[in-house]
Formats: sequence, structure tokens, C-alpha cells
Amino acid sequence: MPPHATATDDRLAAIFARYAGQPGDMIPILQDVQAVFGYLHRDAMSATARFLNLPEVAVYEVATFYTQFHLTRQGKHRIKVCQGTACYVRGGRRVMQAVRKKLGIKPGETTADFQFSLERVACFGSCALAPVMVVDGKVYGGMTPQKALELLEKLE
Amino acid sequence: MTFEDVREKAIRAWAEFEADERRLVLVGTGTCGRAAGAEELIEAIAECLPSLAPDAHICEVGCLGLCYAEPLVELRGPGLPRVLYAGLSPDDAPALLDGYFGHGDVRHDRALAVMDGPAADGIPAFDDLPMIKGQLRIVLRNAGRIDPENVEHYIARGGYAGLAKALSMSPEEVIQEVEDSGLRGRGGAGFPTGVKWSFCRRAPGDRKYMICNADEGDPGAFMDRSVIESDPHSVIEGLAIAAYAIGAAEGYVYARAEYPLAIERLNKAIAQARELGLLGDGVMGSEFRFDVKLKQGAGAFVCGEETALLASIEGKRGMPRPRPPFPAQRGLHDCPTNINNVETLATVPVILERGSGWLAQYGTERSRGTKTFALAGKINRTGLIEVPLGTTLQQIVFDIGGGVPDGKRFKAVQTGGPSGGCIPAAMLSLPVDYERLTEAGSIMGSGGMIVMDEDTCMVDIARYFVEFTQSESCGKCVPCRLGTRQMLGILNDITSGRGRPEHLDLLNEIARAVKLGSLCGLGQTAPNPVLTTLRHFRDEYEAHIEGKCPAAVCPNLVSSPCKHTCPAGVDVPRYIRCIAAGRYADALDVIREKIPFPGVCGRVCFHPCESKCRRALLDDPVAVRALKRFAAERGADRPARQRPAPKTTGKAVAVIGSGPAGLTAAYYLARLGHHVVVHEREAEPGGTLRTGIPPFRLPREVIDRDIQGIRDAGVEIRTETSVASLEELLNDGFDAVVLACGALKGLKMGIPGEDDPRVLDCLSFLKQANAGADPGLGKRVAVVGGGSSAMDAARTALRLGAEEVTVLYRRTRQEMPAAPEEVDHALAEGARLEFLTAPTAVRDERDTLKLDCVRMELGQVDASGRRRPVPIADSRFELEVDSAIMAVGQQPESVAAPGLETDRRGRVQVDRGTQQTGCEGVFGAGDVVTGPASIIEAIAAGRKVAAAVDEFLGGTGDIDEVLAPPEDVEGLAPLEEQEERRRVQPRLRQPGKSVGDFDEVELSYTEEEALLEASRCLRCDLEEPEEE
Repeated sequence: MPPHATATDDRLAAIFARYAGQPGDMIPILQDVQAVFGYLHRDAMSATARFLNLPEVAVYEVATFYTQFHLTRQGKHRIKVCQGTACYVRGGRRVMQAVRKKLGIKPGETTADFQFSLERVACFGSCALAPVMVVDGKVYGGMTPQKALELLEKLE
Repeated sequence: MTFEDVREKAIRAWAEFEADERRLVLVGTGTCGRAAGAEELIEAIAECLPSLAPDAHICEVGCLGLCYAEPLVELRGPGLPRVLYAGLSPDDAPALLDGYFGHGDVRHDRALAVMDGPAADGIPAFDDLPMIKGQLRIVLRNAGRIDPENVEHYIARGGYAGLAKALSMSPEEVIQEVEDSGLRGRGGAGFPTGVKWSFCRRAPGDRKYMICNADEGDPGAFMDRSVIESDPHSVIEGLAIAAYAIGAAEGYVYARAEYPLAIERLNKAIAQARELGLLGDGVMGSEFRFDVKLKQGAGAFVCGEETALLASIEGKRGMPRPRPPFPAQRGLHDCPTNINNVETLATVPVILERGSGWLAQYGTERSRGTKTFALAGKINRTGLIEVPLGTTLQQIVFDIGGGVPDGKRFKAVQTGGPSGGCIPAAMLSLPVDYERLTEAGSIMGSGGMIVMDEDTCMVDIARYFVEFTQSESCGKCVPCRLGTRQMLGILNDITSGRGRPEHLDLLNEIARAVKLGSLCGLGQTAPNPVLTTLRHFRDEYEAHIEGKCPAAVCPNLVSSPCKHTCPAGVDVPRYIRCIAAGRYADALDVIREKIPFPGVCGRVCFHPCESKCRRALLDDPVAVRALKRFAAERGADRPARQRPAPKTTGKAVAVIGSGPAGLTAAYYLARLGHHVVVHEREAEPGGTLRTGIPPFRLPREVIDRDIQGIRDAGVEIRTETSVASLEELLNDGFDAVVLACGALKGLKMGIPGEDDPRVLDCLSFLKQANAGADPGLGKRVAVVGGGSSAMDAARTALRLGAEEVTVLYRRTRQEMPAAPEEVDHALAEGARLEFLTAPTAVRDERDTLKLDCVRMELGQVDASGRRRPVPIADSRFELEVDSAIMAVGQQPESVAAPGLETDRRGRVQVDRGTQQTGCEGVFGAGDVVTGPASIIEAIAAGRKVAAAVDEFLGGTGDIDEVLAPPEDVEGLAPLEEQEERRRVQPRLRQPGKSVGDFDEVELSYTEEEALLEASRCLRCDLEEPEEE
């Protein structure tokens, strides 16, 4: 059980209050939960199942299907390196390689000190500015391995 | 308030916004603009604007589609042209605003175009920009021109008039209108929209749903994002019209979560629409009621497929289901549902407002209207465009997109995202419409168009797409779930050096099975990138199976791009490290391990290695050739190590031709212990090295020194020796013969008057001049051609006393085969280059020659990826000269022998594996087989044929030598440098002046220069292998 159990219950209740409890609310609820907690922890998923009156596996199967959802704690800084076609063709692969090496983790992982999470994303739709990297929600275009490392260093 | 009232108020608001007296700063703040720094720019503008123009306002607009030029700012002021400025940084703001608002100075150096008006002050009108000229912006009608968060802007420009019109018609009439327009689904499948609506209309049921698919998941596509960010109401209006037509009261927009700005703008627009009675109960005061909710995707590409999308809205895993039943009959919550793409819906209001005929007048017979495309990848002008269907790929890539950057060659354009295919240069004249793209093996798709060049590996691209679709496969059906995994496995093998010839057929088979057996569009189209690349780029697959990645990309095949690209495999990074460590003799030994011509290559290799050098991404490619020259000169200071003489095999090989191919083959065969005799027709050995390349580029001593090294290996060279018959040689005691006689016959243009004695063949001319003779060209010389020989001829003519040397080339400078530095030298020495010019006839005017010439323009792209020059009518002019030199190509002289086959270009045919000709025991290598190619390719061919001949004679075919001491790379790592340090250019003897003599023009590096240049190498070969 996470240490702040009661606070969690309150925050979850605030989320559920916005919804009617229809099956179609599943994904929006999970998105709200993740926005608040940073990831979907076990108890949150159980609570969601209870609220929607569905078996827990119904929540689990949705949580594991969509790549947006994280089931483990994420880092303070979210690094998403685009590996969409335009970014790939314009050198995005080497940007990812450089970032991987620098952070010491693979895409989908978080650093041991929970400072950084790394993800590969297929496309942010900013292809004209390839290669693209998104750091904490801000889109940066025209990346090179060098520029990516500079950006990361600024965050540390 | 009625809609009419709303409209009138909007028109007044818009007129105020557009009024001439207004001072406005419009900044594009779509996601692209922001990624390029638009927010920081606005901050800077907001800071200085109040003091420079107190009554000026900043307005955030959407995307004009010129993403390559972001951030974009438009300035408007009384009495001034409205000017669009590109690529601004926050530091530019104060001076720009002060100039424009303070002094009426429109600041040309940053100005891109004049908006809403004619060209002014030398700034072109927006509509005349090459990127805009071919476009027809219908879906993008408001993008970049309005404030997307101001509904009045939308309404004033005709917004919601379509909906008003629709509500005055019956739903069936609305459907008919859309059918008549010819609109087809813009999401990719291209199903006729009106027909799709009619299915839903006819489906029984009280409750129906209208859904907009804004899950634009194709990597490389951003059209829908842009439309929603720049003009969200166009989508809402389209939705409302569609809902009315099909009889739905509830609607959804399903937008992907990766588009937060689009979602924000859409939510705002929905709220505004509700406020104005354009959504909700009683739309526009009518009986029709319709409301829209937004649903966010959660990161699953498959949810772009309509049944998966529906599952997602219902809160389930996004897995498709079999159809029938189609969503039109049973969709969301089992009710009749119609799903349309963003672009489709954004087009609908225009169809209603202007009538179906208006849209139908554009496009092709079966593909009416326009289509947006997201142009990205290796293209100069990346961005969002909209063109009438039927526009050709060539127009899009070259005219609108501005072609491929950095002088690289176009290779392919990918359309349709992971569901589409790669279209090669040979098919660039394809008009873009649904049927034609499908015929070519691709699909229209949502509109993503990625351009690829010579540095893109097509096998890697196929692997990339399959990796994507495999990871996005929902897993429900076996063909897709397992088939994509199998295809990926094979592609990983091929790109990692584990490929086998059988893999290609297997890949093809699996691809077809996945296509036929998959449940939904994801699986059915996942094989397309594989199938199209196999079809159009099979040679790249085959090269990978043989261990070579032609684009020098695949990390598990390529240790360093330079070494990989070198046809002879010279270990470039290693010899550069030797130079950097001061071990010049070792550097020379490393080079000599692969090629017996270090001196020659150090002078005149055309350095394909440099074209792939990764340093170029930071500043300039490393000067590999100049460093090789340095090593060849300095390394020779230490006497060559004595190597043990090889054991003689008792076999004898005759080599015909002492050019680079023949002598290289001879060298390696002698090193393997065979008795080698080279037969050379001319008085001195070297082939075209001596006869074709002038001494000011390649001094004779350099050739002699390299050849001496070959003689020292035991090769006997018989000069002034012609070979009458190959059979005789074989009967004379030779066990094998290597034909390496080159391609010495000059091609003719085939124009009238070419036979005049004052029209010289380039190679013959150079041979005479390089032997010290003066063919007597006269003062005015024309050289026709654009390759190295043409440049050599021009520079030689100048040295022989010609005062006016004009080079005529039928294409542009960028397309000249000659190396850029050779062209620079020719220009510096005084040659005049006339591009896009070709002679059509030579006329004898007794004392002079008159060349009839015509100007050319670039037309269709041909299979080589270059645009074919086409004569411009009525552009003839005359060039008066004393002589002309034709340098338009060469082919091998005829070689006749029983069993020997040549093609219609005179090239001797050899077996791809054994290098043997059709005549037993006779092998071929170099230009005589390939046609004119480069020295290093000839050397590589010499190596290959030597190995093949050795095997034929019973040997192992192993020609590898170890000459340099083993290298210890412990503690060495790739160079991680972020600072730009430009290349050290080799100095010239007399820079910028025309020269009178034939002495060498380029100087060698000093030790300091060489060490500095060697330190720029990134040591790519020391990079750790990539994890799979």
C-alpha cells in the first residue's frame, strides 16, 4: 500500500465524482488518474474497477493495452524521443542512441533516482521540424545528438 | 440572436481586424511554430511592442504550412505592405518591429513574402512563392489567416454558411450534394463519402452517432493536427452537416492524446459553438439537435481503424472486429455510426456552401478535389501543403518542396505512412490520386509524404515500418500478430549481416499471407512497405545479404560509413588514428593493406567515403583523401618493410591493360605466388591514370612510384605490347586471362558536323596533351560535358594557351558528375561554365567553328533520380570557337573473342559471382565491364577478380594482407564533440590565379595541418554496437 493511502482515496473520489460511471468513462478516468498520480498504481486501478462496477481485469487489460498508461512510477522529467518516420529519416535514431547512453536506461524505463523517464514515441506531428524530442511536454525541433545532450544537462 | 445576426456581427469584427489602419503582429503558434520557438518570440515581441507601437496588437494564428520557415510573423501597418517574416529568433524582434512600425522599413533580409497583395520592394507575393504556387488551399482556407480561437473570424469568412445551407435542404439532398462532389474519404481508404453517409442514413435506428477520427497516428502525418489547431470550427461544422445528413444527434471527436494543443483548441471551439447555438438543441434555430464530445486516444495506432476506435470510445481495448456488420449498421453501442476523417469533414462545409460542382472541377476523373500532404524528411521546404489531386509527385517534391537538401540525390518518397509504400525516382511523374498510387504499390493514406535520399537505407526503412506495425499490432488475429513478427525477424537478420538469399522469397510469401489474412487494415497494409521496397529496391536487399549497406546506415553492418562505402574497404578511421599519433608509415601500411595505389588515390580518388562522413552533420566531412595523400608522402620516408616472397604456384596469368583494375589484379595475384604478365598497348603503364588525368592533378612521379611498388611485388609489365587474340594467350602457357582494358572509346553526341577535325574526342585530346603534345586548339575552345574529363580538358586547354574556354553542360551545376572541387578549380582558372546548355550542330565556317546551341530546362525526373533536360523552344544561340572537345562519355573499345558477350554499350559481361566472361578462363574487371567508373571502383574490381582468379586456379581466393602492426583500441572511444571545427582545406599553389604550367596545383598538408584535420575524425568505428 502506498504510504499516502487516505489522501489517495480522496483524490480518486474527486476524479470519480466527475463521471457517471459508464463503461465508456474507463479511458478518461484512467487518464485523469495518471495526470494526478503520475502513473496507475494497483490500488487506483482497483478503485476504478469498483467505481465502474467492472472486474479488475477489465481495467488491467485497458491499462496494459494503451501505451500512454504507465504502471510504474515515472521520473521527474519525462523525455520522449520521437522515432516517427520523418524524425527517423533525419537522424532521430542517433538522437535516441545518445539519450539512451546518457541516461543509462532503455525506452520505457525510469532512472533509479526517479529523475528521468525515457519513452520512444512514434510521432508528435511536428515532422517538419524533425528530429523532435519532447521534454516535460515541451516540443523541441531540429534535434541532434549534441543538442539533445545539452538539453538534458540543463535539466540536471 | 439568429445566425444572420451572428454573421453580421462577425463580419463587422473581421472588417475591423482586417482594417488597413490596424497595426497587427500575427504569430503562427501551432505546435510546429511553438517547437521552433514561437512562444519565446512572442514574449520578446510583447516586451518591446508597447514602446514601439502602443496601439499594435499581437494575434496568434494557425499554420500557413511553411513549417521549414517557422517561426513566422506577419506585420501589418497603415500604408505598408503586409509582410511575412521567416525564421525569426527573439533577438530579431526589437529591430524588426522598430524598423517596420517606427520607420516603415520592411527589412528585406528577413522578409519572405507580401500577404494579401502584390509584390512590393522586391519581396514576392505570397501566392507566387514556389511553395505556394502549385497549391490550392481549400481545407487549409483559413489556416494561418485567422485566430483559431476567435469564432467570428471563422464565420466572417464563410464559416457555418454551409451548415445553414444544409439545414435548408433535406438530409437526402445533402447526401446527394456530397456524392456529386466526388469527395472520397481522406483518412486513407478513399471510400466515397456521400455513399458512406447514405448507408448510415438508411440504417434503421433512432439513435445514431457521428464521429470524427482525429487519431492521426501515421508517423510523418500532421495534416489533421494542423487543421484542428488552425481552424477547429471547420471540423465542427463538417461534423454538424454530416450528423444532419445521417440523422445523428450525438457526436464525438476522437483525438490522439499526443496533440494537446489541438485538443485544447477543439474544446474551446465546441464551447463557442454551443454558445452561439451552432451546437446543442435547436441548431441555428432549427429542429435539428446535435452535440459533440471530445474523447482522447491513449496511444494506440490501431485505434485509427474505425472498429478499434469504437471499442476505445466504449472503454475497451482498441481491438478491431470483423465487418460486416459495418459501423453504418452497428457501430458505437451497437447503433448506426458514421466515422469520417478530419480533412474529409473540413471539406464538407465548402461543398455545401459553394455547391458540389465547385469542388468537382478540381482533381482527376475518379479523385476529385484537393488533398493535403505533410511534406517531411529529406526535403528543403518541409511543411503542410494542399494540391489538386492529379498533381505529380515530381511537382510536389521538386517544385513545391524545393527538392533534396545538401546536393544529395533523391531516392524515394514514402506515401501512406506504415500502410503505404516507397515510390522510386523512376516513377516521379506519377500523378497523385487514389488509383495511381495503389497501382504503384502504395496508397494515398492520410497524406504523410516522407522524402528519402541516397543516405536512406530502404531495407532499414522497411524494417522500421514493420517494427512499428508489429509493436502496434493489437494481437487479435494470427496473420498480423505472428506475421509481422516474422517479417521483422527476417528484416533484422538482413540488416544485421545474417541475411540469406532465401530470405527474400520467404519475406515476400509472408508479406502476401499477412496482407490476405489479416482482420483489419493495420495487418492488411503492414506488408506494403516491405513489398514496395522489394519491388523497387531489390538490389539494396541483395547488397545487405552480401554484407553491404549501400547507404551506410545499418549499424550492425557498418562499422564506420567511410570504410563501408569505400569500394575497396580501406580502413579509414584506423589510418587517420595513425596519422593523429604521428605514425605515418603505419598509416601508409594500413592503406596499402587494401589498395596498391596509395599515391594515386591520395591525389585523385573521388572519395565516396567523404560523402558519408558523419562529421558532415556537425560541420564538414573529414578530408580523407588529403590525409591519404599526406600518409602516402610522409609514410614513404621509412623504407617499406620487406615481406617474405610468396610460394610460387606454377600458374601464369595474363592481364590485359595496365590501368588501376589490371595492375591491382596483377599485384594481388603476384602476392599469391602466380606468375603475372601485364600486357600494355601504350609506351608506359598506368592506363587512363596516365593518359586521361593531367599532371597538374596527378603528377607522373606519383603514378610511377605506385607502379614501382607493384613491380616490386613481382609483376612483369610489357609495354607496347598488344594482344591479338585471347585464345593465343591461353594456348601460350597462361592459365587465366584478366581483361582490364578500360573504356577508352569516346562517345559522340550524334549531332551534325561532329566529324569536323576541329572537334576532338576528350580522351584522345587529353592523351596527347598529357604526353606533352599540343593539339593546337586555338584561342577559343568549347568543352561539352560535365564530368571529370570535361573539367580536365577545360583546365588543360587553358594551360595550352586558350583564352576563352567555355564548358557547356546540359544540366545544372548540382548534377555535374565532376567533384565540386574540380569544378571550383576550373572556374578559378578562368573557365566559363554554361549550364542548361547543349550544342545541336557544328558548322564549319572555314576559319572558325560555329556551335549551334540551345538552352535547356529541367523536366521530368528520370530513373537516375535526376531531372531530364528539355530544350527550350526558340532559345538557340551561336557560339563561335576555334575547336571543340566532346567529353560526353566513353565506352569500351570492341573486344571480340569466341564466347565473349558484350552488351549494346560494349561492356563485357561477366558472371556476378565468378567474374568470368563467357570464355573459359577469361575474366573481366574495371571499366571494360562496368563502363566508365572511378579509380577506386576499378581497384576494388581488381581485388575481386584477383580473388576469383586465384580460386579458379585452385587457391583459396584470400587476398587479405596484414601490413600494419595490430591496433590497440583499449581506452579509445568515439569522439564526442559539439563544437564546430571546419575542415582544413588543402592549400593551393596559386590560389585564384590562372596557371600557365602543368605542375601540381594542390599542395600537401603540413604536419600541423594533417594533425589538426586528423583530430576531427569522430572515430565512428569505435562506437559500441547498438542493442536490438
